[in-house]
Amino acid sequence: MTEMLSIWTEKYRPNKFEEVFGQDEIVKRVKNLTNSLNIPHMLFAGSAGTGKSTLAIIVAKELFKEYWKENYLELNASDARGIDVIRQEVKNFARTKSLGSVPFKIIFLDEADALTKEAQQALRRTMENYTNTCRFILSCNYSSKIIDPIQSRCVVFRFKLLEFKDIEKVIKRIAENEKLNIEEKGVKALYEGSEGDCRRAINLIQASASISPNITEGIVNILLSNAKPKDIKIVLDYALAGDFEKSREKLLEVMLKESVSGTDIIKAIQKEIWNLSIDAELKVKLTEKTGEVEFRLVEGSDEFIQLESLLASFVLAGLGKKL
Amino acid sequence: MAIPFFEKYRPKKFIELRGQDLALYKVKAFLSSFNPDITKKKAVLLYGPAGTGKTTLALICANETNSELFELNASDLRNRAKLDEVLKPSTLQKSLFNKGKIILVDEVDGVTSTEYGGIAELIALIEKTKFPIIITCNDIWQNKFNLLRSKCEMIPMKELTYQITLDILKNIVKKENKIVSENILKEIAAKSRGDLRAALNDLQSIIDSEVDEATASEVISVREKSQDIFNALKTLFKRRADEEVLSLFESVDMDLDQITLWVEENISKEYRGEELAKAFNALSKADLFKGRIYKQQYWHFLTYQNFFLTAGIAAAKGPKNIPERFTKYNPPSRILKIWMANQRNAKKKSIAIKYAELTHTSKRRAVNDFNIIARIIDNNTIKRMNLSEPEIEFLQEKQQELKESLVVKA
Repeated sequence: MTEMLSIWTEKYRPNKFEEVFGQDEIVKRVKNLTNSLNIPHMLFAGSAGTGKSTLAIIVAKELFKEYWKENYLELNASDARGIDVIRQEVKNFARTKSLGSVPFKIIFLDEADALTKEAQQALRRTMENYTNTCRFILSCNYSSKIIDPIQSRCVVFRFKLLEFKDIEKVIKRIAENEKLNIEEKGVKALYEGSEGDCRRAINLIQASASISPNITEGIVNILLSNAKPKDIKIVLDYALAGDFEKSREKLLEVMLKESVSGTDIIKAIQKEIWNLSIDAELKVKLTEKTGEVEFRLVEGSDEFIQLESLLASFVLAGLGKKL
Repeated sequence: MAIPFFEKYRPKKFIELRGQDLALYKVKAFLSSFNPDITKKKAVLLYGPAGTGKTTLALICANETNSELFELNASDLRNRAKLDEVLKPSTLQKSLFNKGKIILVDEVDGVTSTEYGGIAELIALIEKTKFPIIITCNDIWQNKFNLLRSKCEMIPMKELTYQITLDILKNIVKKENKIVSENILKEIAAKSRGDLRAALNDLQSIIDSEVDEATASEVISVREKSQDIFNALKTLFKRRADEEVLSLFESVDMDLDQITLWVEENISKEYRGEELAKAFNALSKADLFKGRIYKQQYWHFLTYQNFFLTAGIAAAKGPKNIPERFTKYNPPSRILKIWMANQRNAKKKSIAIKYAELTHTSKRRAVNDFNIIARIIDNNTIKRMNLSEPEIEFLQEKQQELKESLVVKA
């Protein structure tokens, strides 16, 4: 079976609690709950690639052993199909008794924060209706986007971004297995490119390996520059030179060409600010503004409008005016 | 002002309602054949523009059938106790007054389709009711009403014709014992565009304020002036911010989302530097409140969205008027560009989604990291992902492109 898996994020996905890196405290608690054979509803909060789905699958495997696939349902809330479909699937799944000795089944609802407040209310009721036959594990990026009534019904676990030492362990393990030679700086570059996201780190290793078994900092950086929104500097330069319309035209082009999200543009802008040839004080102000816009981007409805407002601040900075 | 004319002269009998013969015919047929055990559609849905007599017709129905009218609004629909009260067969009342009941759900436009919004409750009410239900609505073709439409007898109410409006106005002037010139009445009738309530309000304001003919004509024209978006933008960008600017977009025949795009597209044509930053900050805040409205369904925030979109942007130029000069405003171009890009990116997206499903990755992540992922999808994975022929073709082109980019850089 494992030989079939040509995607390394799958091939090296941990199968046991002991293999999960970087979340020691959470793993310990979840393991104890699992061993007691009676888990509560759980909310896994944290960034992508920190081990939320992985841990949910491990819980299922430990609880149900060979029957885990029959007793485990994975749903994604960001599917456009809506809460009604989710409820229907939950209903179908929860109607039959679980196989084996554990008296309940597990439903893993990924990206639960994609649900609207109303949908979450509906979900809350569904959770209550099937609490005898099902346990829910919800995953989300931001727990603040989950309504209180759901949070209060769940044990909440906050997943940390993986640190260098954790990612390093993963990298070393894969390098050994795949007979790769990764230079020290390459490991650093992989970690920095991963931004604490283990899945991204593994994807980067595999993509690098597809180029050469000798993985250098240079190869990793080429890959990263492929994935990064390009030409952000051009966008900012136009703005600083006072040409707002050119700047926003370029921004839209960058976003649409590779369908980059607003959040990723913000991240790129924030990194770029320090490379600009402007006053340090202005850089601080612009960074503050960038943070404010990132916040509004999450709360607002139209990413582009928010980014335009940031560009207008850059225009102002370019005039040497106070922000 | 005394009782508004449209209350004072609201028809009480079928025969008094003007210009709605078809609706009258259908409603009468509905009421006379209504039997809770047999009638399939136990509600009529009166729909049409404002001021055409929807609520009036409902009131007439109650009056002519000697029924008690029970009015429900959106929040009542969510109130179990209130609903039970309404549904309860009023045996007591029946014996005492020999009265039936008619249930009125006025202006169902405000009911939302969400879990707690009330449309589901309304449909349940229609199924259960022992009494005829009358629902009124302006815009019934919104998606949220799809199911509701199929459960109701649909009855359109038409805009009143110019002649009928004029007739009604003349009658009222006579009854009020006033003199208003024929020209003014004609003007009111024409400007009302079939909205009788607006016509009667105009008439009343002219009678009450006792203005001369020239002023009257002006009053009506100011009141009814409908702006196009170009004029509205001109006012927004060039005029000083005052209270009037708040209602600037009310008379523009476009929804707020569309207007927002127009504003966004054209701000930089009028504002520079500090003004530009301030204006975009206001637009950003308007969007912030829009996001909150969408996510929390807290419609009260609409006030703030509108405030920032109007006064916020007008105030960005400070307390001065901008000199009149001609500016050519452009229609929003962004949506078209997004649509075109989506067409181009559709395959990339569908591949990323299949990859995300296979590997328990978030879809957004998979799309963003597509250039990394594309390198690691081999033939085996392609099979497991169930890619279609065109998707495979797209992927292989992308992989080739990525390989070549490496050569150039090396």
